[in-house]
Amino acid sequence: MIDSEVKAASPVVRRVRAYFAPVTRSTGQPAVFDPAQGGAFAVNAPLAPWVDLGWVYEFARSSGTKVEAVRTGVPAVVQMQVRTEIEAVVSMKFESWGKLQLALAAGTQQMNLLRTAAGAVPSISGGLGVATTRLLPGSTASVLQVGTGLSGFSVGDTVAVDVDYTAQTGYVGSGVSGAYLRTALTDVDYVRRVTLNVARVAAIGGGALTLEQPLMAGVPVAGMGVSGVVGFCDREGSSFFQEWSGLFVMEGQQGERVLLHYPRLQAMGGAAEASVTAGGLETVRLAADFRALPVKDAVDGEQVVCFRSYLLA
Amino acid sequence: MQNAKDTFYEVLRDRVTAVNAALTVFVRGVVRPAVVVDENEVVGTVLRDCFRLRWAAIRIDRSGSAAMYAMTCELRYATAGTEAASGLDRGRAIAAMDATLMAALGPDAQPQWALKKSFAGLASGGAVVNLSSRIWWSDVVFGVLAESAGELQRMATVDVWSYQEEGEA
Repeated sequence: MIDSEVKAASPVVRRVRAYFAPVTRSTGQPAVFDPAQGGAFAVNAPLAPWVDLGWVYEFARSSGTKVEAVRTGVPAVVQMQVRTEIEAVVSMKFESWGKLQLALAAGTQQMNLLRTAAGAVPSISGGLGVATTRLLPGSTASVLQVGTGLSGFSVGDTVAVDVDYTAQTGYVGSGVSGAYLRTALTDVDYVRRVTLNVARVAAIGGGALTLEQPLMAGVPVAGMGVSGVVGFCDREGSSFFQEWSGLFVMEGQQGERVLLHYPRLQAMGGAAEASVTAGGLETVRLAADFRALPVKDAVDGEQVVCFRSYLLA
Repeated sequence: MQNAKDTFYEVLRDRVTAVNAALTVFVRGVVRPAVVVDENEVVGTVLRDCFRLRWAAIRIDRSGSAAMYAMTCELRYATAGTEAASGLDRGRAIAAMDATLMAALGPDAQPQWALKKSFAGLASGGAVVNLSSRIWWSDVVFGVLAESAGELQRMATVDVWSYQEEGEA
């Protein structure tokens, strides 16, 4: 048992670790996080469906909640207080540049730059992709069975795995909604262009691509295809809003832990970077800002935007 | 404060041994892991190819519910390389010591904390006692490499923090 005075001391933390999980956009259903049961998870092994985004810098959160006084009588005397607005915003800078960090920092849909076919007509957000490699039965979230389709890939390649676009509208993207379409398109690769079901190839052999990380959407479904990705592209000004559940962990040096859980975070800014200068070089970090949206706590029906939990040492 | 200093020494000694068990030093007739506390050795002892630990600045923050001590630990080390290589390997030797220190205390050496212990009982034949709070430390800051008469020397610093527990000296 920790000394009582030490136990009461303010947490001393090194950095903030960020985890995000998909929100089911069609229903507005956020990822569930129970701090009592799952709050003590190992920082390098978050519970599903949470995805580790690594350490973040300059993490800041602020409450925009407004409390107004209700006065009655002459002279007016404060009789009670009411909350007239509930609002919270969160900002941070990511340490690494990955697909998810880029998507979150962009705030809107984030395009995979598919490997283009020879002679493809130049296109402003990536040209026509090479023919998609079809997934074969037996594929898992980490091993993609492609048979003779191996020849198009190398270890270290990044691949996008998703269904063909077939003129659907609404939210698209397996596992996580990567975009929202109001009108139908004609690009058969569109879903693979916006999907977050992306991973890097760790090994190739036996007719299969083994991935470094399991796909976010889990086991691929029939009809999915694999496209090589050469990079990512986002646009300032498009209409889609990224929305995710966010979980931020601050570990105290005495074993205590502060958890900040935002069930629904929506991007509130466009793509921006922050530079750190050292030795004449600049380290460019992705900057992201989010506004918290409300959920109803089933315990008492209260509408809230953030949960702060403090786990004792 | 003494408990925090002793605990940090034990952590550093054990981690340096774990990283590079071949790195040892011959002191007062005994071969030991290559971490030596300067204030515990005979004044004027000159040692190479080991980490000499010295406690420098101490800052006390009493603004919280428990007093927090921040102590700067200086780690000095020097090498002239090996006789077999006529000292021409001194650059590689100091780089290996830099890497050992980084592997023992750097951000990849998790955790960067340890349960504080009291070693006071050892003097009277007693046992080491686990205390109830932790010490924790910063990343290593490496100082400028110096050279003197064919010997490469460096000082690295680490800040070590601890809370003063009730009844602790």
